[in-house]
Amino acid sequence: MPILTRNRNNRKRLDPYLLLLFFFVACLVLWLGAILCSLPMGVPGLGKEVASLQQRSGVQSPVTAVLLNFRGYDTFLEVLVLLLAVIGVWSMTLAPFPSGEVEKSPVQLGVVRLLTPLMVLVGAYLVWQGSHLAGGAFQGGAVLGGAGVLLLVAELPWLRSVPSLPLRIALLAGPLVFFSVALYCLLRQGKFLAYPQDTAGAFLLIIETACALSIGVTLASLFAGGRPDDDLPETGTPSDPQGGRTE
Amino acid sequence: MLFDSSSWIIAPIVLPLMAGLFCFLFTRGTFAISVVASIANLVTVVVLHRQLISFGPTRYVVGGWRVPLGITLRTDGPALLMLLMAAVTGVAITFYARGYFSFRIAEPKREGRHERQQRFFWPLWMMLLGSLNALFLSSDIFNLYVTLELVSVSAAALAALSGKPASQIAAFRYLLVSLLGSLSYLLGVVFIYKIHGVLDLDMLRMAASGGPALGAALALMTVGLLLKTALFPLHFWLPPAHANALAPVSAILSGLVVKGSFYLLFRLWFDVFPGVIATPALNLMGLLGAGAILWGSVQAIRQQRLKLLVAYSTVSQLGYLFVAFPLARLENGAGVWTAVTFMALAHACAKAAMFMAAGAIFLQVGHDRIRDLAGVRACLPVASLAYAVAGVNLMGLPPSGGFMAKWLLLTSSLASCRWWWGLVIMAGSLLAAIYVFRVVSRLFVIPAGEPLRACYPHSILLEWPALILALISLLLGFAAPYPLQLLDTAQSAMALFYGGLP
Repeated sequence: MPILTRNRNNRKRLDPYLLLLFFFVACLVLWLGAILCSLPMGVPGLGKEVASLQQRSGVQSPVTAVLLNFRGYDTFLEVLVLLLAVIGVWSMTLAPFPSGEVEKSPVQLGVVRLLTPLMVLVGAYLVWQGSHLAGGAFQGGAVLGGAGVLLLVAELPWLRSVPSLPLRIALLAGPLVFFSVALYCLLRQGKFLAYPQDTAGAFLLIIETACALSIGVTLASLFAGGRPDDDLPETGTPSDPQGGRTE
Repeated sequence: MLFDSSSWIIAPIVLPLMAGLFCFLFTRGTFAISVVASIANLVTVVVLHRQLISFGPTRYVVGGWRVPLGITLRTDGPALLMLLMAAVTGVAITFYARGYFSFRIAEPKREGRHERQQRFFWPLWMMLLGSLNALFLSSDIFNLYVTLELVSVSAAALAALSGKPASQIAAFRYLLVSLLGSLSYLLGVVFIYKIHGVLDLDMLRMAASGGPALGAALALMTVGLLLKTALFPLHFWLPPAHANALAPVSAILSGLVVKGSFYLLFRLWFDVFPGVIATPALNLMGLLGAGAILWGSVQAIRQQRLKLLVAYSTVSQLGYLFVAFPLARLENGAGVWTAVTFMALAHACAKAAMFMAAGAIFLQVGHDRIRDLAGVRACLPVASLAYAVAGVNLMGLPPSGGFMAKWLLLTSSLASCRWWWGLVIMAGSLLAAIYVFRVVSRLFVIPAGEPLRACYPHSILLEWPALILALISLLLGFAAPYPLQLLDTAQSAMALFYGGLP
């Protein structure tokens, strides 16, 4: 109950600032709702154009066609946003792994052993499915990321010594493959990201596979919360709250 | 050549972004990669300028899919001037950052901290430069949102790089404010797509019809962008974020990043939806700008620390960009838009130079308390001069770019009998003179009877990039015909510069 503050002297007292804020936000929501209701309903959007050019995109799923072909440039930049988030996290601190060995429950280890390969398989299948149904790099990558989170939660000892370079290569695989394909298209077709029509499907699958790997590793790295141990250790005085590996 | 010359337009986006990826992949040679990329970026921007002058504005269809489905990039006068601003300032910042980090690594206060800062500065900075270029060139309202996101995330990560708790708190607040701004903009994009069914700016310009829903969408986008541009009274996050960052980062944030969201706002108001904007809205912007000029200057005068003073001066200088809004619709509108471009260019160079000089002073003296800065010119002659020259631009003395901008604004406010805007501009210059001289008078006067300051050896990269940028901002007034020519060449973009006039 943030708005109603209770204390002994005056039993119910409203904080005037919070009330004002609440009132303001309520007005804003009402106004936006009213605008939303007044929006014209019959505006077609771009669905028709997508449907008419679907054949030339190289995939059967309209979502994948928009994401990777028609507006591939947007997706290319979005993949970089994810990468930037990881660089930002790495720049702040080392990944905090618990220092001591903890006794692990056999149930947890069994679940990890059982689920991890399954999740990798599901992720790969989702990427493949993206060409004709709902699915694709982001969905597949999210499942792969989930597998990574599962491993991290289980605190497997080898995770601590994952070296930085392979991890960086995995993080960069998606953006670099996307870049290479875009530049190849520039040289072949004369336009940035303009896939040749007959091989567009293959190109899209290559990009999606690489991006799914990168997105999975990105999400798991974000969960790990810092850069790996061998990547520039920063030694600080113990009193310094930012030092080394506190939190 | 395998690709036609129109493909040059993607080079300023691709080169720095790719350099950023390689700077993250490799741990050595990152400075070399960044220098090559920022110089190549400058070269491609010059090529684009030459193309604009010979062929006029162009459209480039990324991916080969035409509008309304695909995404277009475009070159025109304002976009290319902003690119030039980012490219010139970018080269100077790249060299300065090298001098800055090598100084800090040579005199480590804490093992490993400066290596970490340098290691992550380069990829973040290169990707920020590429994203800013993408923002300036994009002509698609959703793609602009993606570029805004790229800019916010990389800028917030850069702001947190120093690692001190104060800077991390400020950077986190900056990230939250920036995200709020982006989401508000995105909601506006959703509304516009629901109303018009297209995302391309040119198609929207033709389709725009007004109405309350479009007004609401524009209001949402405007508030979001004002948050990111830190217009008074939404500037609360800027001074701590800019003052607590590392010096090269402060230069980037204050010189370039705030211009990105301003440029987008300016596009939306005067290029895409000029017919929809009502005069009271323009006056409101002018009023907020006037508030920014006065409040930012007064706060700058009251500050005790050099970097906070420079940060508040950014709040104040951003006000001039908005005072131009109510003047732009008048007879002399073209002059006003030239003034805005000049202001943005000159402020980017001058403010980056000021933060670089302040950073050099901080490194040499060990603090930035203004009252203890007496006689710094004994060990940093070039940086002190750079600070003073950049100050000349902030005060608006001839022949600086700041003078040109203020002169154009002043004449158009007097010509249209709106002298009150002119009064604010002059008051702002006077206040700027106070906060500039407060520092300059200390830097250059070596107190009698005190021993000269002890100086650490430092590379010329710590001082000269600042002076060169400051000189560019000082001499920008002489280059006045060039932007005019560029804007004239970009005939089809003239609607922008004539506001609502035919």
